[in-house]
Amino acid sequence: MLTPAELVWLIAAVAKGDEAAFERLYGATRAKLYGVVLRILRRQDLAEEVIQETYVKIWNSAGQFNPTLASPITWMASIARNRAIDIVRKRSELSIEEEPAAMEVAADSPDPLARREMTEELKRLLECVGRLEPDRQKLVLLAYYNGWSREQLAAKFEAPVNTVKTWLRRSRMDIRECLGL
Amino acid sequence: MEYSEDHIALAAEYALGTLDADERAQVETMMAVDQDFTAIVQAWEFRLGVLNQMVGSVEPPPGLWDKISKAVGLTGLPQPALELPEPPPPPPPPPIVLEDQIGEAVASLQSPAVPPPPSSPPPSPASVAAPAPLPMAAAPAPPFGDSNVVRLTGRVRSYRNLAVAMTAIAAALLAVIGVQVYSPGLLPGLGGKPATQIVEVRPSPVPTPRATSAPSAQYVALLQGAAGGPAFILTVDGATKNFTIRKVGAPPIDANKNYELWLISDKLQNRPRSLGVIGDTNFTTRPLLAGYDSDVINTATYAVTVEQSGGSPDGAPHSQPVFIGRLIETVPANAAPARNR
Repeated sequence: MLTPAELVWLIAAVAKGDEAAFERLYGATRAKLYGVVLRILRRQDLAEEVIQETYVKIWNSAGQFNPTLASPITWMASIARNRAIDIVRKRSELSIEEEPAAMEVAADSPDPLARREMTEELKRLLECVGRLEPDRQKLVLLAYYNGWSREQLAAKFEAPVNTVKTWLRRSRMDIRECLGL
Repeated sequence: MEYSEDHIALAAEYALGTLDADERAQVETMMAVDQDFTAIVQAWEFRLGVLNQMVGSVEPPPGLWDKISKAVGLTGLPQPALELPEPPPPPPPPPIVLEDQIGEAVASLQSPAVPPPPSSPPPSPASVAAPAPLPMAAAPAPPFGDSNVVRLTGRVRSYRNLAVAMTAIAAALLAVIGVQVYSPGLLPGLGGKPATQIVEVRPSPVPTPRATSAPSAQYVALLQGAAGGPAFILTVDGATKNFTIRKVGAPPIDANKNYELWLISDKLQNRPRSLGVIGDTNFTTRPLLAGYDSDVINTATYAVTVEQSGGSPDGAPHSQPVFIGRLIETVPANAAPARNR
């Protein structure tokens, strides 16, 4: 179990080519990242590919990590998530759910998240998302956690794609205002 | 550079994930040529990225590490033992909650040339997440608007809002990712009393550790030079004030010279105080911050100079600072360490 400060150390060591640190970093973070991308890709083979590419990218760009801008996990998860969404967007002709290998994503430990474990940032963001109407909350969360496209969201909410675009824009502006940015 | 509403919309929705493939390619191209735009996108990514804290962990197949190892070309040669800094001794209770001082320190980071104002009457309870204003400080232009003013919300109000929000969002979170959140009744810190505790740290040199399970806050500073890129990483344990300085990118210096670490605080008339010579090993751990008040520690600038062998003989630096930085809180005092399963 590593604290964010220790992860910062590890990433700094990885930036200098420290192989042991890289392996330790992988050990400490692989399950979280795999969980994040598996939820989006819904296929183990694709998720493995993305995780592999992610850690290669982390190895190569560890020197660019700036701990003043993001926590280590957030930085790493961003890399993973971007790659995962790139893949699902390019495959959008084929609905992911229709592919034979698509699966229900089950986390090893779906756990109630104690409030005291949440960072201030997360609390604040949840506070702002919580102010949206329930359907908008689901819209934003489905987009973020599951990586759904506008088309998939439109199908889910039985609305035209342009309406979904408007909802997303509005929700995003509301969140931004709420965060005080 | 001013970015249009459309640009910001693109950046935000890229981070959210809802752009189609062409739009994503467009954003990626823009990022490749425009660092400022990249900063905006990343700020959104990191803002939303906290949501990943709620995602359940799933173990990947065990063979994956071998593939990664081959892909990056790990040599597998024996490496020197990996040393992480010594964990600090058990912290004394109660954890020192320094949101107000941190808020000031962070606010002052937005105008690094201006030292924070001398101690003023206690600020109204500030609710500022440490990383929140930093995207504005790090990028040349504020990504989210013209104003550099950090909007501070009352802490009591924000806890009440959180309770309401958690009730409101509980159903959506459960439906989307199967995460349950505790009911507001179980949330501590409600009932109208302000949750900020400002505990004055007694200036006694060594706090007596008592058995406790409360984790202490961790602070990190990147000490960087004009060329950019961190040269040293300084971490401070909020409770014990032990600090560790690790060399990550500092160039080697002459054998007859030493790097020396200094604390500079306007609360100490901006006279640099030595925190000791930085040893030749990668890690140097010292208790030398114990004699300083927490608010001094949190708001100070840390600087590294090049001194003669053994450090400055007279307690004052003899070179310009080569690397400087300020502390950022990475682990809030009340949070449990990040759990990775």
